[in-house]
Amino acid sequence: MQYDPNIPIWLQVMTRIKTDIVTGKSPPSGKLPGARDLALAYSINPNTAARVYQELEKEGLCETRRGLGTFVTADAGRVKALRDEMARKAAEDYLTRLSLLGFTREEALNKLQEDF
Amino acid sequence: MKNLLKYEFRKTLSVKLALLGLTAAAEIAFLAALFLNKENLLAISIFLLTMLALGGVMVAGLATILTLHRDMNTKQSYMLFMTPNSCYRILGAKVLENALSLLLCGGCFFALGTLDITLLFARAGSLKELWEAIGSMLRTINSELTLDVPNMLSFTIGLLASWFSAVTAACLADVISSALLNGKKGNGIIAFLIFLALSFLVSWLQQTLTSSVTSIQPRFLLQALIALVLSGGMYFATARIMETSLSV
Amino acid sequence: MLESIDLTKKYGTKTAVENVSLRLTPGHIYAMLGPNGSGKTTWMKMAAGLVKPTSGQILFDGTPVGIESRKKIAYMSTEPYFYTWMTVRDVGKYYGDFFEDYSPEQYGRLLAEMELTEDLKTSTLSSGMMAKLKIAVTLARDAHVYMLDEPFNGIDLLARDAIRGCILSRFSPDRILLLSSHLVEEMEAIADQAVFIKAGRLAETADLEDLRTREGVSMADRYRTIFGHEEATK
Repeated sequence: MQYDPNIPIWLQVMTRIKTDIVTGKSPPSGKLPGARDLALAYSINPNTAARVYQELEKEGLCETRRGLGTFVTADAGRVKALRDEMARKAAEDYLTRLSLLGFTREEALNKLQEDF
Repeated sequence: MKNLLKYEFRKTLSVKLALLGLTAAAEIAFLAALFLNKENLLAISIFLLTMLALGGVMVAGLATILTLHRDMNTKQSYMLFMTPNSCYRILGAKVLENALSLLLCGGCFFALGTLDITLLFARAGSLKELWEAIGSMLRTINSELTLDVPNMLSFTIGLLASWFSAVTAACLADVISSALLNGKKGNGIIAFLIFLALSFLVSWLQQTLTSSVTSIQPRFLLQALIALVLSGGMYFATARIMETSLSV
Repeated sequence: MLESIDLTKKYGTKTAVENVSLRLTPGHIYAMLGPNGSGKTTWMKMAAGLVKPTSGQILFDGTPVGIESRKKIAYMSTEPYFYTWMTVRDVGKYYGDFFEDYSPEQYGRLLAEMELTEDLKTSTLSSGMMAKLKIAVTLARDAHVYMLDEPFNGIDLLARDAIRGCILSRFSPDRILLLSSHLVEEMEAIADQAVFIKAGRLAETADLEDLRTREGVSMADRYRTIFGHEEATK
């Protein structure tokens, strides 16, 4: 995975894992790799990998069971909410970019409908 | 220590193998000449063997000095100095390697020489007479100066010990140059002068301290002992300088 | 903990390292950065006990580095240093003869990872293969500290991923990893701390994720800020 060195690496990896959770690649209750394996898989610092799980836990997206490892939340509602959150974020990004090109909100939305 | 010693022998192996090969070739030539009565070849092979015996011991000492120099002044120094060994051990292995090599080399050539001379006399009786003539000539200079095995052996021991002290002196000089004078102008020359001074000191002490001993054999052996004691002192001085000041 | 206090090394009139006080703690991967000749290598060599400081101290777990610390600190120099008669197998044996923490199994695994075979003679290795061999044999130790000077030098782009993996696999909360490299980008994701050395002096230490979070700045950006002027005037 290529990283943008100006953005915290943990954030970039976290986004990637969130995508996996939303798309079902990492299903609810599924086991996630340990921090060490995550570090190796993503070629990142192990402290950064630990931070990824801390942040995911904070957001209620995964939980660490002592001695067992880290698991994706079993809460389907939370996963659904994450999906909405990420969709909303993507839509906002779209709107922000077009506003930089001089599109109003309506124009941007209309353009989306016309083109796709 | 065992491992350090093993690698010191490995580092000087090629020199020793070359020496062994040359000696074997010269010895074969000697034996062939002796049994086929080829006088020219005999003369050449005797000359070669004598040179090898003298040069071989020299070369064994030089190999130790060169190895030490390389182990302090090239990147290979990391190999040695990153290991968890004190400089006393590191240098100790080198000195021990040298002592053993000199003993082995000297011992082998002494045995070979004795064997060859015996063979030579058995084949050519006239040579034995010549040898005895030289012996009686020497005796007129000093009544103890006989060409017998114990005398030759103590002479050889004296020679080896002196050469060993020269090697340790060279090690000390080289370490002073590498550790204390590193990067300074003319450090090579200074090192050489230190070596000369040390060698002079050793032989001066050898002469002075044994001047009252008139008998030849005890004198040789006492000189050997002095050389060994001084070598020990130089070893400790060298290792100490390495331990405190050597950067590789 | 590996710590230098007012550490200075002078070579004649030239000062290679000047009053560097630096503390490296376990559980981190440090990137030591600075242009050529800035003193990184000299600092590492002093920590490895190969170079004696002119003044100041370098301590490992509170004791000056020396014979005991060499048992626990695995150092890899930039330059090749193996004896010329050695094969890849001999190099492993040498480490086995001198380091109690050396693991032949690990060496075997790392060699496979680096696509090296034991029969190769070190004198015939390309610079890239030599670089890999140095890393393999150094990481084959179960050391408390790994100091790798320029581990990516001479290594092609594809193999660098493998090297990064090998280095990361040696991480543990009780180990210190210290890497130096000109290839700053190679270390962005694997290091968590940066140590910038400028003209023999410690210019700055930084937590990299902190730097990114608070200032939106990468390690390479910071490098440019610190050394940019110097590079421009060269």
